[in-house]
Amino acid sequence: MAARRVVIVGGGTAGWMTAAALARLLPGRCAIHLIESEAIGIVGVGEATLPQIRAFNERLGIDEADFMARTRATFKLGIEFNDWGAIGDSYIHPFGTFGPGTGEIDFHQFWLRLSQQGIAVPPLERFSMACTIARMNRFALPSRDQRQLTSSFGYAYQFDATLFGPYLRGVAEAMGARRTEGRIVAVHRDGESGDIASVQLESGERIEGDLFVDCSGFVSLLLGKALEEPFQDWSKWLPADRAVAMPCRTEGAVTPYTSAIAMSAGWRWRIPLQHRTGNGYVYSSAFLSDEDAAAALTDAVEGEPIAAPRMLRFLAGRRERSWVHNCVGVGLASGFLEPLESTSIYLIQAAITALIELFPERDISPIDRNEFNRLVDLEYDRIRDFLILHYHATTRTDSDFWNYVRTMPIPDSLAEKMELFRRRGRVVKYREGVFLDASWIAVYLGQGIIPVGHDLRADAPSPESLVAGMRKLISDVGALAASMEDHAAYLRRYCPMAEAA
Amino acid sequence: MGPQAMRDVVVAGGGLLGWSAAAALKRKLPMLRVTLLPLPPPPDALADRISSTLPSIIEFHRDLGLDDRDAVLGAVSSFRLGTLFDGWCDGRPSYAHAYDRYGEPLGTSSFHAHWIRQAMLGSAPSFDRYSPAAVMARTGKFLLPEADPASPLAHFEFGLGLDPIRYPQMMRAYALHLGAIERPGGLAGVRLRAEDGFVAALALDDGSELAGDLFVDCTGPRALVRGALDQRFDDWSSALPCDHILFADAAPAPEPSPLDHAIAHSAGWRWVAQSRARTSHGLVYAAAELDHAAAAHMLRDFAGSDPTAPIALRQGRRPQPWLRNCVALGDAATVIEPLEWTNLHLAHSAIDRLVTMMPDRDCAPVELWDFNRQCADETDRVRDFLALHYVASRRDEPFWQRARAAVPPASLAHTLALFGERGRLPFYEEETFTRDSWLAVLLGQGVIPRRADPLIDSVPPAQSAQALTMMRERIEKLVAMLPTQSAFLANLMRQAAR
Repeated sequence: MAARRVVIVGGGTAGWMTAAALARLLPGRCAIHLIESEAIGIVGVGEATLPQIRAFNERLGIDEADFMARTRATFKLGIEFNDWGAIGDSYIHPFGTFGPGTGEIDFHQFWLRLSQQGIAVPPLERFSMACTIARMNRFALPSRDQRQLTSSFGYAYQFDATLFGPYLRGVAEAMGARRTEGRIVAVHRDGESGDIASVQLESGERIEGDLFVDCSGFVSLLLGKALEEPFQDWSKWLPADRAVAMPCRTEGAVTPYTSAIAMSAGWRWRIPLQHRTGNGYVYSSAFLSDEDAAAALTDAVEGEPIAAPRMLRFLAGRRERSWVHNCVGVGLASGFLEPLESTSIYLIQAAITALIELFPERDISPIDRNEFNRLVDLEYDRIRDFLILHYHATTRTDSDFWNYVRTMPIPDSLAEKMELFRRRGRVVKYREGVFLDASWIAVYLGQGIIPVGHDLRADAPSPESLVAGMRKLISDVGALAASMEDHAAYLRRYCPMAEAA
Repeated sequence: MGPQAMRDVVVAGGGLLGWSAAAALKRKLPMLRVTLLPLPPPPDALADRISSTLPSIIEFHRDLGLDDRDAVLGAVSSFRLGTLFDGWCDGRPSYAHAYDRYGEPLGTSSFHAHWIRQAMLGSAPSFDRYSPAAVMARTGKFLLPEADPASPLAHFEFGLGLDPIRYPQMMRAYALHLGAIERPGGLAGVRLRAEDGFVAALALDDGSELAGDLFVDCTGPRALVRGALDQRFDDWSSALPCDHILFADAAPAPEPSPLDHAIAHSAGWRWVAQSRARTSHGLVYAAAELDHAAAAHMLRDFAGSDPTAPIALRQGRRPQPWLRNCVALGDAATVIEPLEWTNLHLAHSAIDRLVTMMPDRDCAPVELWDFNRQCADETDRVRDFLALHYVASRRDEPFWQRARAAVPPASLAHTLALFGERGRLPFYEEETFTRDSWLAVLLGQGVIPRRADPLIDSVPPAQSAQALTMMRERIEKLVAMLPTQSAFLANLMRQAAR
């Protein structure tokens, strides 16, 4: 069978992740040609990732320590949310469970039962390995033995996204992917089928292909511009439409977690890497001017700025379909959700995984294409609800922005989930989905959605035995975390970045 | 003051399902008062009547704390490894659907992709020869799964054949032991609360009333309690065309097979399920295509005993098994033919959900919504799996021609379309049957994708062929050394007696 000519438009994180994965996993099926222009910068969002990225790297045969050294990466055990439910609040959304995560009844049900009985219990965070290690700024790899408490957490990375693309470029080129430097000035379509036939560069060169992967970022050069696939605008629920970013020197601890600090018209990220700390303010232009946002960010950051503030514009939502004709959108070209829960790279990965599993032959089957779109939509829609929850579950009344998100109508799918949790602490279960129970529980409880009831099964044990069990759990979790190495020391030993870089 | 916690639960129905529900409620939620009205299950209550079960019953027992193996063993009359399907596709050999893995992954992709490529190249021994449990079952062998995960005999599951007399007795004794209360009597009517339509009490035939906060209806398809609230019903007859069932029991076989048989006939199918207690025969058919006398005659010929009177089946489910303070379980919620033995499994799943989601006395709609959503997702996928057997059939009779031409439910159509492209199966929430189960039936009935999965390119066909041969030989060698089911059972009995 002749190899499909796959043309990837755009060489940022999405472009090179796609190129590396296709080259590695479908050798012989596709000849990969990536077009990028050095004149066009990359957005480089998604410095913070989710644990799923480890499976992606593993499938590509990437060595963790080498990859971390080259992208100046740090470990990430979760996300710290400050000032969300109310000013002064702080909670961690952990990559891991509360309690050992092995029982038939979710641990938080026992915790709820005791609190509702009026028995003082420590914050739920202290029963989580991931949260406890994170608060102590330590790190160790989790155990693979399910019986151990140290298997109850996972981890992801925080890395320099401008280095991840080039790192994967090395992988892709070693597997035979071709790269052409150039800016695309025209997209030519087949008059009969409407498929994309070729893209034309400034130099006049035309590059033909059978399948086009649009990784061009917000501009959505093929999917949005050439094929005019409509965009579903979600800004009524997720009104943030700008970000201002400014890296700084690291001052204080290299935390094994990302921070998301609520601000008057949005929120601010803090992502510690080995050589610097990434900062940015995601805000809504309807509630805050660009100048005020930049000033607020400059005021808030801890270390000395390394670069001037850089502005980004975006719109929350996704294309109606991500795969149209012979063009597949991956990353920002297909949709955008703010990086509040570090989902940008995850969404790229999910699209690539689906593309590989549904990779077409000469004629693209509508069955495969529809299935791809169904899978991608499912991911976007579930993440959307989870993000809206962060804004909506608040008591803040200190700005017009918070008044808006606190009182806005929310999707029915989310309203039902919240009501179910409020009644009895139940989380609507999905077996496949990026955020599992503990994620929802962390955000609900962390932002003041406190159930009035609990799972009746949690009433079976005596309160004394529960209190004793909880005491032991806290002491075990604390002792295990305290025995771990300091996060910065772990990095220096495991994956130090090159000094001269 | 907030809503009040649930206290009094009334279970209507005194078959094995009613007692199982009572036992689970008392075991998991000991603070509840559980009273059971022991109405005898009607002949058409299949969850009470079908004695072949899926492997999920093992987990149900464990959850219930029924780990006294001897007590359970006394009420169980066989171990089941799967079902053999015969005659569903003209010109194709029979195939075994066993509760096990089929093959092992090769390289970066799943086993079935390799098998499909070999089949396309024209040389693949039947798919069930790569499943250890299927090979065991076909040769009448049995042992419990091995503990070492590296063993090919570690991954299968098994269902049980229940003793029709002893199993309900055992469950009743266990529920009473856990504190459930039996309130003898007959049902005269259901009294609803005027203000909100909730069930206030069951009126009994002695003139007394049985009041409660929550009513659990295990009375069979007529749903004597739940039916008082509404009679909405989603009909499945276009996907599942049979509408009658006959039963006939025969003497036990000397070497009971761990493999039940489901054999297609001109207008439906019949089963043979062997156990120590009896050999159960049954015939499922569409009465418009096969009259009752001919059906009875057919079954008598095979069973060698007189069948029961014909029992009508109206297949489908209640869109809301749980409405207000009344929840329907088993046939009161879903009527489905016993093909693939899902009747008790669906009821057990609903019991698990009931226990997990027990609401306050107000039975808030949002909590019921989640229960009903999960039940609907699960039941509809079971319907799809059963309907697959019909839509993928290949026989000449008008019944089968129509079954094959019927428009499948949307979720099954999606599954078939996706599989037909390159052998990919979609994920659905609350799926009962594993991918391997779907594959066993799809490939067993000759549904072959249009093309092989490109992800297997990295393993050349000759290498797959060799790996496939090795897997097969390894399984055959291992299985040859195993005991027969009757030898296994005899040994188990000897141990229990000691």
